[in-house]
Amino acid sequence: MGTATLEASAVDAPGAPRRRKKYGGVNAWVFALPALAVYVVFLVYPAITSLWFSFTDWDGLSPTYNVVGLQNYLAMPKDPVVIQAVINNIIWTIVTIFFPVVIGLALAMLLNGKVRGKPVLRLIFYTPCVLPLVAIASIWGWLYNPQYGAINEFLRAIGLGSLAQPWLGQDSTALAAVMVPAVWLRVGFPMLLYLAALQGINTDMYEAATVDGATKSQQFWHITMPSLRPAHYIVIALSLIDSFKVFDLIYAMTYGGPGTATQVMGTWMYFNVFQYYQAGYGTAIAVVITVVAIAVSIPYVRSQTKEHAV
Amino acid sequence: MSTFAEGAELAPVAALPDAHIAEAEQPSGKPKRKGGTGMTIVIALVALLWISPLVLLLITAFRPLSDFVANGPLSAPQEWTLQNFKDAWGVGNFATTYRNSAFLLILKVPLGVLISAMLAFALAKLRLRFGAVIMFAVFLGLTIPIYITIVPVFVLLRSFGLVDSVPGLVGPYLAFGIPFEVLVLQSFFRQLPDEIIEAAKIDGAGPWRIFFTLVIPLSTPALVTVIILDAVATWNEFLFALILLSSDANKTIPVGLLNFQGQFANNNTGLAAGILIAVVPILIAYIFLQRWIVGGLTAGATKG
Repeated sequence: MGTATLEASAVDAPGAPRRRKKYGGVNAWVFALPALAVYVVFLVYPAITSLWFSFTDWDGLSPTYNVVGLQNYLAMPKDPVVIQAVINNIIWTIVTIFFPVVIGLALAMLLNGKVRGKPVLRLIFYTPCVLPLVAIASIWGWLYNPQYGAINEFLRAIGLGSLAQPWLGQDSTALAAVMVPAVWLRVGFPMLLYLAALQGINTDMYEAATVDGATKSQQFWHITMPSLRPAHYIVIALSLIDSFKVFDLIYAMTYGGPGTATQVMGTWMYFNVFQYYQAGYGTAIAVVITVVAIAVSIPYVRSQTKEHAV
Repeated sequence: MSTFAEGAELAPVAALPDAHIAEAEQPSGKPKRKGGTGMTIVIALVALLWISPLVLLLITAFRPLSDFVANGPLSAPQEWTLQNFKDAWGVGNFATTYRNSAFLLILKVPLGVLISAMLAFALAKLRLRFGAVIMFAVFLGLTIPIYITIVPVFVLLRSFGLVDSVPGLVGPYLAFGIPFEVLVLQSFFRQLPDEIIEAAKIDGAGPWRIFFTLVIPLSTPALVTVIILDAVATWNEFLFALILLSSDANKTIPVGLLNFQGQFANNNTGLAAGILIAVVPILIAYIFLQRWIVGGLTAGATKG
């Protein structure tokens, strides 16, 4: 149906533009349509269909289902796993944004100073970002192995053997243990952006500030940080968008466990649909987090659209 | 103005991301003194810590299991072997998963970049009705988590008979790649001066010729960046592949690796070798092509 409206406007477009500043009309639609069609069929339409499923009691298998209104949504606050998942999502979002941004900024400042071998260092810090999340889960699962893992072995080697524990296997440490690799892999992106932004700051400002007797810390807070504002904005917006999508790492590392200790909305949605055959309830969970993700990200999306639609 | 002059004017635009990379390699402008040994040591230690999981993985993959078990994960290997790779390659079904992932990559990436570039061209340089609305709707796709679409996508593909088939992944992969690709490409296309397009138009070139002979060649840096980032994302994608592919013959690298991880839970050296097999192509590609990735990511940011 989205496509139908597009075609309709393609037909009346040629009549409208008299100011032939750019190519327009039907041709523009011919260029736009393939991508828009794919986008509508495989992203927009499924997302809207999920919204519909969320108002039903569909099990995901039967040919029929009943419309149950808001029942799935009303059941959520009574589901202890949803409560747990929401809390975990919030913790995940805060931790996997705060630490990568702070560490990334610190590394960028170091790399922007008098340091040798910058290309290699930059390469190293960004490397985890290009690995498949499943591989990262495998690597860290292997490091966390209670018996043969390098982390416990390291603790034993430095005389802290009493701290050796099954990091992924107990409620108290599992979520933190999954967030460590997330921080590990997400430091590279802010580092790159901050490094590029730092290199764009006019050094005359620092010289003038030094002449005026400003301390290093004053220079940081009054010159560096304000100059980095656009970079902060992009880094935080993109990290926020990314953090709502968390699924792969948790699925591959802990499968939501032990128990439900590391369930997030994405994995709990998956389990409901594919393990418990509650597709209606599962999609309702997905709808909730998608709505939150969109609401939070709209300012960023609007800024990108406005900036370009000159 | 002659076309020649236009062309000359365009050169710096096309070279922009390159210039940016050069700048990143060698902080420009500022008279940087050599040295800073103290700083270098500090950051080198942090880098070493950062890369240590991968270094450990590499070492472990080349040592016999008996040596690993007897001496512990942090010990220096007593002997070296390639046996782990032989074991992992067979059990992990990597010949199949490699073929499937490569097939998907070759099918999806060029097609995705082409249709995204076309849409980006329409948004940036053609008079497209409701262009701003379309742009907003497409960019909003960046925020949509894959898992909200999995149930309907599964139903949709089942009705086409495309469940448990590698080509069946192409549609959803294309759709989720479009927002980012269009975002990057249209902002690059926008920087191409309108004058050269006008000049080509006066010379009688239609939009297709302008697109393929002018816009595409002039945008090589942006296209290469998008191709690489899209290839990485395609190679790494997990959720759709997990849900849509069921038989071993159709699995991609990430799904295959997950199965493999379960089977090799007690064979630490074999597991390390298998993980390496899965990530080596992407690591090699990254090391050789990293300047494009860095340039593309940061070009977007500094515009802010």
